Amino acid sequence: MVGLILKDLITIQRQFKTQAFIVLFLLIMAIVTQQSAILLTLVVFIVTMQAMIALTYDEQSKWDRFANTLPLTKGDIVLSKYILSFLLLMIGLIIALPLVLLIHFFTQQEIITDLFLNFSLIAAFALCLLAVLLPIYIHFGSIKGRFVLMAFCFMPGALVSLFKEYLPNITITLANLKQFVYITPFAGLFILWLSSLLATAIYQRKEF
Amino acid sequence: MNVIEIHDLHKSLGNFSLKDVSFAVPQGTVMGFVGENGAGKSTTIKCMLNLLKKQYGEILLFGKDIVEHELSIKNDIGVVFDDLYVPETLNATQLDKIMKKFFKTWDSSYYFERLVQFNVPKRKKVKELSRGMRMKLSIALALSHHPKLLILDEPTSGLDPIIRDEILDLFLEFMQDETHSILFSSHITSDLEKIADYITLIHNGEILLSESKDVLLYEYGIFKGSNEEVNDLPEHAIIRTRNGTFGMEALVLKNEVNQAFKLEKPSIEDILLFYVKGRVERW
Repeated sequence: MVGLILKDLITIQRQFKTQAFIVLFLLIMAIVTQQSAILLTLVVFIVTMQAMIALTYDEQSKWDRFANTLPLTKGDIVLSKYILSFLLLMIGLIIALPLVLLIHFFTQQEIITDLFLNFSLIAAFALCLLAVLLPIYIHFGSIKGRFVLMAFCFMPGALVSLFKEYLPNITITLANLKQFVYITPFAGLFILWLSSLLATAIYQRKEF
Repeated sequence: MNVIEIHDLHKSLGNFSLKDVSFAVPQGTVMGFVGENGAGKSTTIKCMLNLLKKQYGEILLFGKDIVEHELSIKNDIGVVFDDLYVPETLNATQLDKIMKKFFKTWDSSYYFERLVQFNVPKRKKVKELSRGMRMKLSIALALSHHPKLLILDEPTSGLDPIIRDEILDLFLEFMQDETHSILFSSHITSDLEKIADYITLIHNGEILLSESKDVLLYEYGIFKGSNEEVNDLPEHAIIRTRNGTFGMEALVLKNEVNQAFKLEKPSIEDILLFYVKGRVERW
């Protein structure tokens, strides 16, 4: 398991430099626009994508064929991707949160409770995104997985705009649910755990 | 003791299927697993490694079922495919760091000694290595946890004769330990002639032959003659016949044929061609 995570970290470390520049650019953008939530969202999105990049490298190199000749269980191979994703997400949040707080300190654009609400929602969304994407990438591979990712990004917005007259006012609904927002990351973690069970079942049926 | 035993293995993949494949590899020997492209060599090996799921049959490695004892078996085997299937941005030094997490018996100093012996650069990315270098790195990776069994799936295909010869020498070096064994799949019969103790021939998913190389080379003979001359050969001595350039050719059991018939010594390739393209009957 440690070897698998180490392999992925070494493989994707080449991306880190490029992404450090992107984060720097986003930081400047966030300061200029005084929108700290954007920084948080994009940093989370970037780190989430690293697991998908690792899966793409694996697919291109036929790594699974090699990995399955090693003394590793299929469950370990799948779980390593979940642990990697979760670790990267935590690192992303830990890096982004102080920056967001700094921007907030200087701009005081939104009240601090809203900031933590945003933080919880974004973390929960990222965990759910991983929970959906990882089994899809493991089952379909990276090319089809990308299409599903695009659909996943655009479909909710499209559906809401299509059926908005039938939906209750989202702002009011969210305001009513405010007290539950802090537990959403835990719900996200639970969904991620369920997803790992599904992905393991998918992987165990695969042939190499 | 057999390190590999396969009984009645069946696996269908689209239009192709392995049909009741059975053979065994005795400990301390090299088994050459030969057949044309698409004959079922890789499918058999993938089933042996549980990369493909068998439909029925039994696969025992070190006397243990591969599905039930997958992890303990995989601790004791080294696998080399026809290419090195690791992310191409990694280099040999990084692979050492990764592999030592997988194997308790990983021997870094042995690994780096092999890299020096094979002239594989330690810091060059896999994608920057030539095919021969990649294969040598793949072999170093397969050997450095000191496996008891090497499973080699076309490790020399597409390589020039000099690199092939170097790689075969490495395998012969591995076989210096009498407890070590190799299953070597290839369609290059000259490689097998050099290294194998036994030959198993697979064709269209069926095992046609599994025999000691010495038996094949010293107990078989080729008779070349006219149809009438072939007709004079004792029926029980003929294994296969085929049309030759100047008449008929027959693969025969040497000891069952009168010395009046002049026989040629067959190569492994001759024997395989007789089995694959020849006929059982005389005409």
